[in-house]
Amino acid sequence: MRSFIKFVALAGVLALALFIAVIAGDDGPWYFAWLVGTTMIVLIAAAGAVLMETQVGPGRGDGEY
Amino acid sequence: MELYVALKLIWAVLLGVLLTGLGVMVGMDMGVGTLLRFVGRTDDERRAMLNAIGPHWDGNQVWFILGGGAVFAAFPTLYATSFSVFYVVMILLLFSMIVRPLAFEYRSKVPAWRWRETWDWAFLISGAIPMFVFGAAFGNVLEGVAFHFAWDGQYFQDGSFIWYVLNPFAILCGAMSVALSLHQGGAMVMLRTEDPMATRAKRIGSVAGWVAALLFAIGGVWVARMQGYAFTAPVDPGMAATPLHGPAVARQAGAWLANFHAYPEAWAFPAIGLLGMILGPVALRAGRPAIGWWLGALAWVGTIFTVGAAMFPFLMPSTTAPSESLTVWNASGSQYNLTWMLVFALIFTPAVIAYTGWAFRVMRGTVKTDAMTHDDHSY
Amino acid sequence: MSVVDLSRLQFALTALYHFLFVPLTLGLSVMLASMETVYVITGKPIYKEMVLFWGKLFGINFALGVATGLTMEFEFGTNWSMYSHFVGDVFGTPLAIEGLMAFFMESTFVGLMFFGWDRLSRPAHLAVTYLVALGSNLSALWILIANGFMQDPVGAKFDPVTMRMQFTSIYDLIFSPDAQSKFVHTSIAGFVCAAMLVMGVSAYYLLGRRHREFAARSFRMAALFGVISSLAVITLGDALGRADYLLQSTKIAAIEGLWHTSKPPYEPWKIVALPNDRTQKDLFSIGIPYVLTPLITHTLTQPIPGILELEQKAKPRVAKGIAAVLALKDYATTGDEAALAAFRKNEKDMGYGLLAQRYAPGQDLAKITPAELPGIVERTARATTPNVFVEFWAFRVMMALGFAFLAVFAFGAYYSLRNRLERHPMVMRLAMWAIPLPVLASEFGWIVAENGRQPWTVFGWLPTFQSVSTHSVGYMIFSLVGFVLLYSSFIAAELYLMFRVARIGPGGPAPRPAGAGLAGAGLAGAPGLAEKIWQ
Repeated sequence: MRSFIKFVALAGVLALALFIAVIAGDDGPWYFAWLVGTTMIVLIAAAGAVLMETQVGPGRGDGEY
Repeated sequence: MELYVALKLIWAVLLGVLLTGLGVMVGMDMGVGTLLRFVGRTDDERRAMLNAIGPHWDGNQVWFILGGGAVFAAFPTLYATSFSVFYVVMILLLFSMIVRPLAFEYRSKVPAWRWRETWDWAFLISGAIPMFVFGAAFGNVLEGVAFHFAWDGQYFQDGSFIWYVLNPFAILCGAMSVALSLHQGGAMVMLRTEDPMATRAKRIGSVAGWVAALLFAIGGVWVARMQGYAFTAPVDPGMAATPLHGPAVARQAGAWLANFHAYPEAWAFPAIGLLGMILGPVALRAGRPAIGWWLGALAWVGTIFTVGAAMFPFLMPSTTAPSESLTVWNASGSQYNLTWMLVFALIFTPAVIAYTGWAFRVMRGTVKTDAMTHDDHSY
Repeated sequence: MSVVDLSRLQFALTALYHFLFVPLTLGLSVMLASMETVYVITGKPIYKEMVLFWGKLFGINFALGVATGLTMEFEFGTNWSMYSHFVGDVFGTPLAIEGLMAFFMESTFVGLMFFGWDRLSRPAHLAVTYLVALGSNLSALWILIANGFMQDPVGAKFDPVTMRMQFTSIYDLIFSPDAQSKFVHTSIAGFVCAAMLVMGVSAYYLLGRRHREFAARSFRMAALFGVISSLAVITLGDALGRADYLLQSTKIAAIEGLWHTSKPPYEPWKIVALPNDRTQKDLFSIGIPYVLTPLITHTLTQPIPGILELEQKAKPRVAKGIAAVLALKDYATTGDEAALAAFRKNEKDMGYGLLAQRYAPGQDLAKITPAELPGIVERTARATTPNVFVEFWAFRVMMALGFAFLAVFAFGAYYSLRNRLERHPMVMRLAMWAIPLPVLASEFGWIVAENGRQPWTVFGWLPTFQSVSTHSVGYMIFSLVGFVLLYSSFIAAELYLMFRVARIGPGGPAPRPAGAGLAGAGLAGAPGLAEKIWQ
């Protein structure tokens, strides 16, 4: 039951996201660009940090930043 | 009933709800700020008090900001006129109020006596003055304000700000508002801190509640004999929202009781208010601060809606051009605007109440000095 | 100075001051969310330390944003009563929705973000941080929708009975092209400000070889965050320019110092010039040919109208506007239907008539004699364009700074990604000194947007000089002096704390180490604050 509710809730969020994307994509191209762009900025910055964890640390890198 | 009239009525009630929310939530925080120097005698005591409302003051303050925004949108002419007519007082309110966010965030970040002492004074000023001005505004509006309009909707001020500051009835209302905030703040300090602050807060908070009750009773008698305002010509509640060419209005002693005579059930509001102000302190003294807090909130509901019931449909009567008095009917937004605002209010108000409640639940319990001094973020 | 000038000065000061802090809030909240995302994914405590430390700077800055925002919310009513009355029905709505939908969310969750670390699960706290970021940016959205209405009043119609703009379409208001392009440009400009702060302070640590693990990670994230943000802010600024080309030709002409309508495709883009607003000529100018037309219009053929031609085109509108306002006043005082019909004929030019009041004898259009009319039309038309010198240079400073940031971020990101950053102290020093520049660029952006809107508060409908409250000069001096004094002490306290926190660094001594009194924190010899009784 719990997982079913979770599933429905996530499906609801997804539907809402799609709805917003359709409206924004149609009449608010700049809003849409902001949504996509900000998500991308956040993810790329996060990915940069994760990448650093693979570059440095015990046995890797030369202790330089 | 016509849709536009219904919307105007709903927004008049929502205005009351907003002002009540402002009184309860912002009043509580400002009460704590005013009490800070009297209840907290050591640095740790004061910090405990600040951290009691630390996670919430910012959210609570939005009631104040939302109050401004909602009046702007729902009653544009009231926003435009009242804030300008009370200019000097409003600016004093702003000056005292804008110090508070800084006081919270900056006070405990530097461990120097002079620094913290300065901010503690700022808490006193930014707690007492805004609450006083908030109450005094009600007093001034009940007595009427001197203004008139030009053909293009521009207001002109016919009186001096000195009167709005020195008006005895407004001073009484201001003092009552401060007293209510002290009661509410005292209840919060009792809820979230330990002794000795709780005991001191109990003493001051309960006395403040009873003082408020006394001032409320005196104010009631005063209002009953005051020059009120009444329409002397038929009114069309669905009228276009302009203060010009409105029906005639007369100043009459005792007119503010007319609504109570017409609808005796309205007496419930002052009764609720008085009950809250008398029983709230009793609950505090009995060591039940949560009940005292809710009774204090009830006192605000009773007070604001008593004023609303007395004045309805007037929002800000004019002493110099009574027929240009601002009312619920002639100062509101357009039907389209009020409709959409209502849609947004219906969606987001429950959400706001839900997550505010959740935030209070997450942060429930008393502030522990030990945890407070270890937490880098605490105030 | 007149009450109008003093009110404008006060509004500009308080708005510019508010805007020193807002961009950082917009950007830092999103950066905090990004850092905490890494914390939740990797579980490494250093990322929590990052959220805590940059969160502290966020908090110091946020408090001032909130405090000065209070002023803004009330200043329309206290100083711009005619404006508030005229547009409250449509302009107040986004402000109210901002409070209800965005600011409540931001402010409630910011408390949980600071105080809820031990009481919330990691994902729950991450969600709270994201809600703070979303709330602050939604807040900016609604404020800029309101501002978009001032720039391009869509979604409302003037109603002669209530004497105000009445709301007609929430859809048009929200999806107004001006509001859209302004929101994205402003929000992302905030990202740039925040990225520069984080990158610069991290560089300061790296240069001093302190907190290296912490600083290198912060630098990496900020540099990547900043490089994409600066790219976005430049392209989105270009979009905003195009929106203005279509909607506010006076602003674009002033930005480009374009006195005469452009001749595509040769028309040069002026890099430097000394525009003289009195003679309406450049003292000198240096430009690159063939750049202006594609830059602004995104075509090679469309001309861009110049200041002088725009003023010529305004003249017939002023004449019609005077007739409209006279008819409107007649209708307002007598309720005469014929007057209403006369007003309807020239309704669209009403704003130009209101503007002409400024030059009419006694500010009364009815007192204009036929002999005076051409002169008044001439002066009014001349007043329909903004100050070119201010607009031209504010824009150029903003733009130059924008490209400079892109370069700093790009070098920073490149060396950081290769882990060769510490070999290039010059890049780090640049990053450090560049910390205040994005905020400066944001201020110039505000000047470009709002000076370029003059002489209107509601573009084409309500002139600035008429929007103001009927205060005495004494009132204005009282409030202005108070604001200057208060705000100066605020900024002193803010900078003191920012520098202090930055100097102490992450994980530095807590304000009061447990049981250690205050000896370690710079109050040697003073009695412990906890034991001191103050009353």
